Amino acid sequence: MDPTWWAKTHGATTHFPLALVLCSGVLDAAGFALAGRPAARDLHAAGYWTMLLGALGTVPAVLSGLWLTKGGVLGHGALRLHHLFVWPAFASIVALATWRRLVGRTAARPRFAGYLIGVGLAAGLVLAAGYWGGELAIAR
Amino acid sequence: MAPLTPMKALGVAVSTAAVALGFAFAVAATLRQDAARVSHRQPTPERWFEPPTPTSPALVARGRALFLDSCAHCHGADARGDEGPDLHDAQVSDRYIANIIAHGIPHEMPAFARKHDAADIAALTAYVRSLDSP
Repeated sequence: MDPTWWAKTHGATTHFPLALVLCSGVLDAAGFALAGRPAARDLHAAGYWTMLLGALGTVPAVLSGLWLTKGGVLGHGALRLHHLFVWPAFASIVALATWRRLVGRTAARPRFAGYLIGVGLAAGLVLAAGYWGGELAIAR
Repeated sequence: MAPLTPMKALGVAVSTAAVALGFAFAVAATLRQDAARVSHRQPTPERWFEPPTPTSPALVARGRALFLDSCAHCHGADARGDEGPDLHDAQVSDRYIANIIAHGIPHEMPAFARKHDAADIAALTAYVRSLDSP
């Protein structure tokens, strides 16, 4: 087996939840801003499904990362920084997707505003984790 | 399925996230146990027939800087091991160390020949060798 197989698999799988969660946040924020207009319903539907797919995408991303590090959940240097953002990001994406699945495609505006703030925080964590993951993978 | 109230859904969501994290850490613990069963130290007699590679404090310092950049996240900042093995008192030759850095170990460690040139690998080798007990 190619010794870099898990590194390549992790690199490939992490970008699905990263892109889907960021897209979900943008779509829902647009739907929130355009409340009352016909497009808002479709934007929220797209935001709903991209969040659910993004959360599902975290499973192969996390498992391939664990195989890559042979079960290391923290590590040292850039890997530690990567993991310090990965675990809160993973937990927050799972929580956000579960909340969304249980509540439905949209909720009362104050509640949904809170959800959007949560998505924003999760997106920040995902981006920071991605940055430090890139620092590990790309030769400087 | 009828939608839950947002507050009830929040409780379920937080619980689900905790279960997901617990599952991930349980998988991690299993993988660490498997990895711990694999020995990384393979003494090579050639070390005793090979002249010592020239070294210097500057070369070791450069190797240390490269080590922190490329190796510490697996071997630990003090090279005492983490996901990768402890590198102190390696019972292998300098050529063996350089070869491992350059070409990696299948299923164990990535190759660094494309990231680091021969001078870098020599510095890294000098640093790893400097970890030997006096």
